[in-house]
Amino acid sequence: MTMKAFVEELSARFEVLWTHAQRDDLFQFGVPAVQAVPLLSYLKAHTPFIQLTHYTVVDWIEDGEFQMTYLLTDPVGRRALMICARIDRETAEADSLYKLWPQAVTYEHEMNEMFGIHFPGSPRMGLDFCLEKWTNTPPMRRDFDTVAFVKEMIPERPGREFITTRDYIGQKVGEKRLLHDD
Amino acid sequence: MSKDDEWPEIHGVPDVPGWSHPHQPPAQHCYLGEGSKPEQLAYQEAFAKLKNWFRANSLSVLAYGTGCGSIELRPLATSRFDYERFGFSTQGTPRQANLLILSGYLSIKTLKRVIRVYEQMPSPKWVVGLGSCTINGGMYWDSYATMKQLDLYVPVDMQIAGCMPRPEALLEGFAALMTKIKAGKANGYIDYTRRLDWYRENQKKVIKDWDLPEYNW
Repeated sequence: MTMKAFVEELSARFEVLWTHAQRDDLFQFGVPAVQAVPLLSYLKAHTPFIQLTHYTVVDWIEDGEFQMTYLLTDPVGRRALMICARIDRETAEADSLYKLWPQAVTYEHEMNEMFGIHFPGSPRMGLDFCLEKWTNTPPMRRDFDTVAFVKEMIPERPGREFITTRDYIGQKVGEKRLLHDD
Repeated sequence: MSKDDEWPEIHGVPDVPGWSHPHQPPAQHCYLGEGSKPEQLAYQEAFAKLKNWFRANSLSVLAYGTGCGSIELRPLATSRFDYERFGFSTQGTPRQANLLILSGYLSIKTLKRVIRVYEQMPSPKWVVGLGSCTINGGMYWDSYATMKQLDLYVPVDMQIAGCMPRPEALLEGFAALMTKIKAGKANGYIDYTRRLDWYRENQKKVIKDWDLPEYNW
C-alpha cells in the first residue's frame, strides 16, 4: 500500500486537514489538535508506525498558533509519517504522549521550558530542565528578544567589532575578486 | 646567562647585617607600632622567589571541560604533547588542585559550579581560560545562556586565545603562566580575596538563583 492510500484509509477514521508527500518514504499530514493523541495511539496499536522518532513544536507567531509535530517511523518498512497539529498560542496547551511512549516525557519537559507549552498530566511540568529559575519569556519563543535580553543581563567586554564574513574576505582578497566570483 | 641563573642559589640563611642570632630577626624588622611597615628582608625576598619557582614547576591541574576547548586537553595530557614533562599533573578534585583550566564557553548554569569549584581550591591557585569564549564570548556572543567575560566572575591569570587553541598554543600559554608565577605576578587568588565583594556582585548579577554560602570553603 502506498503512503497516500494509507493516509486516505486513515481519513475514514480521523479528520485529515491537508496532506503533503515530501518524499517516497516521508508523508506529512495535518489533523486537528484534539485528534492527535487518538490518531497516534491508533497508529501505534494497529499499524507498523510504532516508533516515536521525533516530537517537537514550531512557533507560528503570525498565525497565533503552535504546531505540534510528531514523527512516527515504521522500522521494518523504513517509512515515516509526520503528523502536524496546531494548538492555540495563547493557551499553549497540548495533550501529553507519555502514556503511549514514556520517553516523550523528556521531550515534553524540554518543550515546557523552552516554549512554555503545558502538557496536563505530564510528570515534569514546571521543573527546571536546562535553565535554572528562568523567569523571562521562554527563550525559544519567537517573541523573546534575545539580543535585548543579553544586552541587559550579561555584561560584555568593550571593544569587540562586528564584521561580516563577506566584508572580511572583501578586505583580504579585494572587492574585485569577490564581484568576479558572483 | 641561562634562565636558571636568574634565580639565586640559597644555601642556608644568608648573612643579614644586624643579626645577633640566626633564628631571631633584628629589632628594626619587627612590628614597631601602628603605621610602621616591617622591612623586607633579603632572605624573605629570595625565599619568596624560591617558593614561586617550586610552585611554577609543580602545577596540579583540575581541567573543567566546560566547552569544546576541552577536546584539546586530551592530546596535551597524553603521550603526544605530554604536559607532565613540565611538571603538570592531573588531579581529580578541587581540593588537591591549584590550577583550574576552564576550557571554552561557560553557561550561566556552569558558572555557578565553577565558582564553587574555584573557592574550594587551596591557595595559591591560578585560573587559565581557554579560547575566545572566555575572553569576549566568542561565537556565543548573543546567547541568552552563556557569559561573555570570564574575568568578571573569577580572576583569570592567563587567557589563551583561539577557537579553539591547539595543544601547541596551550603549551605556550602554560609556559607564559609559569613565567608569570616565577616572577610573582600571578596573584589572581589574592585579588579574589581582596575584592570578593566586587566579584560577588558580578556573579549575583547573572546567577539569578543564588543559593551558595558566603564562601565555599
